[in-house]
Amino acid sequence: MTAILEVSDLTHDYGEVVALSGLSLEVPPGVTGLVGANGAGKTTLLRLMLGLLHPTSGALQVLGHDPQQEPLVVRSRIGYMPEGDCLPKDQTAADFVSYAAQLAGLPPREAKRRSSETLYLVGLEEERFRFLGDFSTGMQQRVKLAQAIVHDPDLLLLDEPASGLDPEGRTQMLDLIKRLSSFDINVIVSSHVLTDIEQTCDWVIMLDAGNLLRNGPLQGFEKLGTVLVEVLERPEEVAAAIRAGGVDVAVDGLRMVVGPGDETIEPMVMAAAAASRSGLVRMIRGSSSLEDLFLNREAAT
Amino acid sequence: MTDQVLYDRGYRTYDGPRRGTSGARKAVFKDGVRRVLGLGRKARQKIFPWSLIVIAIIAAAVFIGIHWAIGNIEESLRQEIPTYGGLFDFYSGISLLFIALAGPQLLIPDRTKGVLSVYFSRPLTVDGYLVSKIGAFATVVGAIYVVPQVVLHLGLALIAEEGFLTYLGDNLDILWKVPVTTLAFIAVHGAVVFALSAVIDRTGIAAAAFLGILFAGAAVAGRVAEAGFAGSRYFALLAVDHHPRIVRDYFFGDTVAYAPEQAGFEVWVSVVAIVVLAVASALFVRYRYRRLA
Repeated sequence: MTAILEVSDLTHDYGEVVALSGLSLEVPPGVTGLVGANGAGKTTLLRLMLGLLHPTSGALQVLGHDPQQEPLVVRSRIGYMPEGDCLPKDQTAADFVSYAAQLAGLPPREAKRRSSETLYLVGLEEERFRFLGDFSTGMQQRVKLAQAIVHDPDLLLLDEPASGLDPEGRTQMLDLIKRLSSFDINVIVSSHVLTDIEQTCDWVIMLDAGNLLRNGPLQGFEKLGTVLVEVLERPEEVAAAIRAGGVDVAVDGLRMVVGPGDETIEPMVMAAAAASRSGLVRMIRGSSSLEDLFLNREAAT
Repeated sequence: MTDQVLYDRGYRTYDGPRRGTSGARKAVFKDGVRRVLGLGRKARQKIFPWSLIVIAIIAAAVFIGIHWAIGNIEESLRQEIPTYGGLFDFYSGISLLFIALAGPQLLIPDRTKGVLSVYFSRPLTVDGYLVSKIGAFATVVGAIYVVPQVVLHLGLALIAEEGFLTYLGDNLDILWKVPVTTLAFIAVHGAVVFALSAVIDRTGIAAAAFLGILFAGAAVAGRVAEAGFAGSRYFALLAVDHHPRIVRDYFFGDTVAYAPEQAGFEVWVSVVAIVVLAVASALFVRYRYRRLA
């Protein structure tokens, strides 16, 4: 299975602000969640994928092409739904989506036909001849999605697609995204709302202040929670022994959060405690959801 | 109860032709033309551009009518009636209003409404985007200048004593003088309005700034040039709106002496000024949009 995204030691900075730091990952086809707090580097990664930014160092390949060398080739195969406003208020939905298709190179007649079909798909068939300035936020988000998929892209980049939506609108948008995956469209969804990712994705990339926290399948993710450990003494020595095994540890007094990791963590903790001649007070497998894991990571940092 | 899908249109894949960058550029060009003419927009966006276009066509017809009427009374009097050059004077007024509206409309909404993020996620470069916008601008504004001149040309040929074809044959130079003069006007006005629209976020303010620079700028530059201090005459070159008019006068006969002429500059200086202004504006707008992309 060919990766849709391959990133190798990618760093990007805006002057003194490092947006991405030494990122390396591979993403398989399917629906991938790109999660992280605001400022984690999600939008920077998406813009690097589109070839709109140039990496400070490192490289990336999108659908087998380097967006720095072949930005137009990559962009012709991508659909992008920006986070912010991107709709001209004085155009009808049908006109704008058709225009978006033509911008991707589709002939005008086919663009018009696909515009109608796509607006039907996102549930705006009745409203397609209304001006975008008269649309509600939810309807505008749907038009943004429609313009991103109208040209049948191989990869769809959605930047905070449920942003600004009420709970009902959010559910509808997530349902739409799930539905897209059933049409074999590869999707990368950027979001800071972890429950959205849990509901829609089968792969997740977690970013934290420009660093890769995790890149892997969402299925079985619950097995990769953290373990809360309390020791009698010498917590730093225990932590160092665990870290030597390649597992993250955040120490807080005599307590520490170990992981994320699978069931091999517990024996590793016991061995580390024994090697450090420290007694274990308790060891509890904790975080099971994506959000817990992310919060634990934030606490650790 | 479970959901049962009776019929789902689903999502149709597309295997047809993709026109890539050239298709994207054509789309931007076409959308630009439609935007400045208000096509596919609300009715109120059509009123202003189409009113100006109708006035321009009617004016050409009126000019022909005057020529015909005067010619019937006394053929020699026809020489006193303005023709191509005079029509340029009239249309430059109309086109200034049109450009004040069209230029900002072409650039500002895309930028302030975030539409640039859609453009540059497609196979379209900044240069391709700007060239298409400039092309749309030049096409529509050029049509406002050229179409009435063509109407006038054909009208004058129809009422010419020497006959239709003879008149056309005797005035072949019109076929290049009109486009070249039009180009001079488009270059100067386009350069100013595009540069302003690249940095101002409100279309109304950009339009006002454009008209202000052309009218007030020319007046102030003229006054400063006359001040008499060392090098003051060079300020006359800042009367940018006068340069295309000097080119027009060169081709169609003098009307008035414009500030650069009063300061002693030759026609070629105005031509150089037009080129420098157009290139500087293009580079500035390009720089600005490269940072935005």
